[in-house]
Amino acid sequence: MGKQMVMSVMSKDRPGIVSDITGVIYQLQGDLADLNQSVLCDYFTMILIATFEDSVTPEDVVAAFSHIPSETRLEVVVKEMKIPMAIAKAKRSPETYILTAQGKNKSGLVHQISLFCYQHGINILDLATTLSGDQYTMILQLDFSAVESVDDIRSSLTSCAENAGLTVVLQHEDIFKATSEITLF
Amino acid sequence: MLRSDHILATVEMIQKENLDVRAVTMGINLLDCRGGDVSETCRRVEEKIGTAAARFVATCERISRKYGIPVVNKRISVTPIAFVGAGFDRHGFVELALALDRAATAAGVDILGGFSAQVEKGMTATDREYIASIPEALARTTKLCASINIASSQKGINMDALALIGQTVKDLAEITREQNGFGAAKFVVFCNQPGDNPFMAGAIHGLEEADLVLNVGVSGPGVIARALDRLINTKGRENLGLDDIAEEIKQTTFRVTRCGELIGRKVSEELGIEFGVVDLSLAPTPTVGDSVGEILEILGVDVVGAPGSTAILAMLNDAVKKGGIFASKAVGGLSGAFIPVMEDEVLAAAVGSGALCLEKLEAMTCVCSVGLDMIPIPGSVDASTISAIIADEMALGMINNKTTAVRLIPVPGKEAGEVVSFGGLFGASPIMPVRNVGKSSRFIAWGGRMPAPIHSFKN
Repeated sequence: MGKQMVMSVMSKDRPGIVSDITGVIYQLQGDLADLNQSVLCDYFTMILIATFEDSVTPEDVVAAFSHIPSETRLEVVVKEMKIPMAIAKAKRSPETYILTAQGKNKSGLVHQISLFCYQHGINILDLATTLSGDQYTMILQLDFSAVESVDDIRSSLTSCAENAGLTVVLQHEDIFKATSEITLF
Repeated sequence: MLRSDHILATVEMIQKENLDVRAVTMGINLLDCRGGDVSETCRRVEEKIGTAAARFVATCERISRKYGIPVVNKRISVTPIAFVGAGFDRHGFVELALALDRAATAAGVDILGGFSAQVEKGMTATDREYIASIPEALARTTKLCASINIASSQKGINMDALALIGQTVKDLAEITREQNGFGAAKFVVFCNQPGDNPFMAGAIHGLEEADLVLNVGVSGPGVIARALDRLINTKGRENLGLDDIAEEIKQTTFRVTRCGELIGRKVSEELGIEFGVVDLSLAPTPTVGDSVGEILEILGVDVVGAPGSTAILAMLNDAVKKGGIFASKAVGGLSGAFIPVMEDEVLAAAVGSGALCLEKLEAMTCVCSVGLDMIPIPGSVDASTISAIIADEMALGMINNKTTAVRLIPVPGKEAGEVVSFGGLFGASPIMPVRNVGKSSRFIAWGGRMPAPIHSFKN
């Protein structure tokens, strides 16, 4: 079975950084399961899940990462997953909704929307925001599996957004798949 | 993984462009409802529709709320009623009409289509009784729509039926004189009528269909108009060619159609009935900004009816088909741009200003679906002239292997230029002048059949 670990890496971005990080895991004979990376304003961040031999410790992984050259120090956190997950089974909820919120930029917007989600039992699966001029745009993928009434959420979301000066649209994820992907059913 | 720009493009379509699904129509076979007499048949018809459509409207509304996309009309289409009521007299057909109307009300649908017959080659005694029942049947019901197929590319034009229908349209308008002849707005005459069209007034559940089926009519002239506005504003008119415009229409239609297909399939899954087709028609509504005429004006004619209107409509119709056909597993029905005068405020305005005449509309119907639709004409136009206008439109469909239809409303007591309004989705328009009235009666008096064209003989 081996030891499943979750790793988070942050550094100044440069060509070759993904190759270096995955190279470390390869040298430790780790089996990479899933990863997600993003670059924001020249900073690179990645979260990975991999399985290692039982003899490999989180400290070994951190030590191996420390040899990777980086303009800023490579920030690494490695945790052993006490309850290993079957990656393939970690399916997305069929009740995934996409929320877009757009409005004039001011501080606290993301907090207001994320607080709303928390208060209504909605888990945020993914969040991306962009600032263009003074217009702030948030796109959230939300898990509605614990939500009883989408109608109620819509109405309270609308009043919450009005107070924050945001225009919100809440749609089921299937709509976006339908309009943006070739394969649907 | 969905990309942010795709998400925002779709949000734009939903939020600013009022994307909706225009019609979800449940087709119900009534051939097994025939009883020993009229009342037994009526009872079985009501029972079957009641059972089949019990959860239909509620399911559409639930799916619509879940996905945040309105389903504007929930409708039922049934087997052409002349088959169901074979042997009945005109009074029996009126009773059937009343039963269908009660069933539609009980099911909570907006409208029910299929008070229809197919007589493109010949008429039975039943068909004649059915035709005779149409004025009273539509005058005494509120949710019922009627249609008749009197021509096809395979069989030619039934000129006997054609002559009867001109008078039927007059009678329908007269019997509903108090409502400006509204009865005629619920009756449409076809060439090559499809059996899976979800749009009214011409929806039927064809004999070739399964017991129950769900067809979806997507729409979205408004969505396409806004997408074109945005493209032209962003890129600049001077940097675009018509091929770019056609491409934008295709891509927008793809997205609109996918939404319709998604909603339709979810409703049919929940109801456990077969999903039929998506009809790719661009169906305008009287709402400002939901007009096919507006698209023509965006694309370069200052007023609909000006030279170039037919060419633009041809391109629009083709691009809609190309975008939609790849988006859907099964496309059917009418699938093309509609130009119903009363239901499209830009077309109605063009009639009012004298820019759009009947002959130009006829030319435009050669390149789009469906035909001369929702056109108010003076109540003084005689039955033979109405039949002859229908004959011309039937000939277009017959020769070009396409569906054409006519829905004329001879408004009693009103003349060209006066405005008539039916309200709601039926809209309003100035009455369109008809030229050369009373000069076609010798042609209509021939009767018989106009033979099928040579290219129909393909065996």
